[in-house]
Amino acid sequence: MILTLDQVGKDFGGLKALSDVSFTVNQGDIFGIIGPNGAGKTTLFNLITAIFPPTHGRISFKGTELVGLKPYKITALGIARTFQNIRLFSNLTVLENVMVGAHTRMKSGVWRGLWQTPAQKHEEKAARERAKDLLNFVGIEAITDLSDSLAYGQQRRLEIARALAVEPDVLLLDEPAAGMNESETEDLMHLIRQIRDMGKTIVLIEHDMNLVMNICNRLAVINFGLKIAEGTPADIQANSEVIEAYLGKEDA
Amino acid sequence: MDFILNPYYLQIGMFIMINAILGVSIYLTLATGQLSLGNAGFMSIGAYTSALLTLKAGFPVYLAIPIGGFAAAAVSAVIGFPALRLKGLYLAIATLGFGEVVRVVFLNLKITNGALGLSGIPSLGILLGKALSSAGFDQGMGGLSVQQLSNVSVLLILLILVVFLVFFSLRLSRCRVGRAFAAIKTDETAAEAMGINTTYYKLLAFLLGAFIAGVAGALAAHITFYIGPKDFDYHRTVEILLFAVLGGSNLVWGPILGATLLTMLPEVLRAASDYRMMIYGAILVTMMAFRPQGLISEETLRFWKAKLGRRKEHDLNS
Repeated sequence: MILTLDQVGKDFGGLKALSDVSFTVNQGDIFGIIGPNGAGKTTLFNLITAIFPPTHGRISFKGTELVGLKPYKITALGIARTFQNIRLFSNLTVLENVMVGAHTRMKSGVWRGLWQTPAQKHEEKAARERAKDLLNFVGIEAITDLSDSLAYGQQRRLEIARALAVEPDVLLLDEPAAGMNESETEDLMHLIRQIRDMGKTIVLIEHDMNLVMNICNRLAVINFGLKIAEGTPADIQANSEVIEAYLGKEDA
Repeated sequence: MDFILNPYYLQIGMFIMINAILGVSIYLTLATGQLSLGNAGFMSIGAYTSALLTLKAGFPVYLAIPIGGFAAAAVSAVIGFPALRLKGLYLAIATLGFGEVVRVVFLNLKITNGALGLSGIPSLGILLGKALSSAGFDQGMGGLSVQQLSNVSVLLILLILVVFLVFFSLRLSRCRVGRAFAAIKTDETAAEAMGINTTYYKLLAFLLGAFIAGVAGALAAHITFYIGPKDFDYHRTVEILLFAVLGGSNLVWGPILGATLLTMLPEVLRAASDYRMMIYGAILVTMMAFRPQGLISEETLRFWKAKLGRRKEHDLNS
């Protein structure tokens, strides 16, 4: 039980984007969240990372209540995320983007940065080496280029490397395979499994059913802001309510 | 030698340095993507604080100038907390309003002598001249008179300060704090999701900018011996903003180049001095239309690096 959502809901004005969603993610899970467009999946990620607060409900991470905490505090606790619409720092190089991810794991302030004290140099060097390792791990070579010069699929991988630099326990991936072709998706599945094997817990939102059914050990299905099913991929594939949400109801 | 070292040129040199310092101050707040137009206000706080401390309280100049900077930073911390909740244009309007409030306060206070301003502020040049005389250089040195010597020393002190600020900015951009600034500038939400305390870093940038503007104001007061509320009005704000717009705000070199060019412009175009604000306006419009990133951007730097690098290679081969 690393991440628990309890009766979480979000209203935007009169619109109920999410209502009473509860689920539990266990250590080592690859937990999939699926559902039609506009079902409220990304809203769920935004609530967990406190981009905005939930209207009601509780979210706890390793026993700590997250509701009311600032986003940077939640990241420091060990939750990192990627974004559906890629949000890299385009004015920084690929390597610097990953080093920004290590921000909470570093200490040097203005003074140490100005005089480049031995402690700062040491920290900076360690962060750079680690960032290089992570880029090597996700398979990006052009580390001194500006991040927006990377190809689309590479930018998605860079987002993952940047999130891993946070040294998170839980990694939230928002449609990591969006816009990727079949072989890229295949590589991505391999990468996600490797990250799980590093001891990380993964929660991912995805539309690619092949990916979801192959790598997730558990799934939650969201439709119109409600959780309509939860279970193993096999359970979900057999669930009539889920089939209805995706394919529509058959006329009698 | 006398031609180059005439007081007029030396004075322009000093103004260029002061404006370059102001350029660094707006560069630092812009580094986090915040358009703050309060720099003229912070400058005036520094100027009045330092001038009053030396005139009325007998503080030595070298102590009063940094205190001027700290006074500006202290005020920026008070207004920063509420103001930095505002974004983009709203922050610009709020800080512009702040600058006007500061000006009106100085215009109406008794101690600041209202619209007449403060005169007879101890001058850095004269103080240095006295120091040089008492150190035994009263006949001058190397063919320079004491007055020239002291003016050159002031210019050198200012130059050292500018060099230090450039060094500071460059070091900053290559460390954890600078990366946090850059991340906030491109995408505040993503920066916060990557664990950056955006409020803290935005306030830090705002404070640093205000401190440097305050120091620049204090220095200006001790170079011109006179300050009045009119020196820190809306026109001054626009001028400081123009340093960044003309030179570019992505690298610290930009505002410094902008400050240098714009300080020299009215001197070169003496005859057109009545049209100064019109020329500024024209520059602003032209830059926005044709080169919104300013004269110096990362690409400019990359281009020249590549070009010079190739020439070196070429020289080696031939």
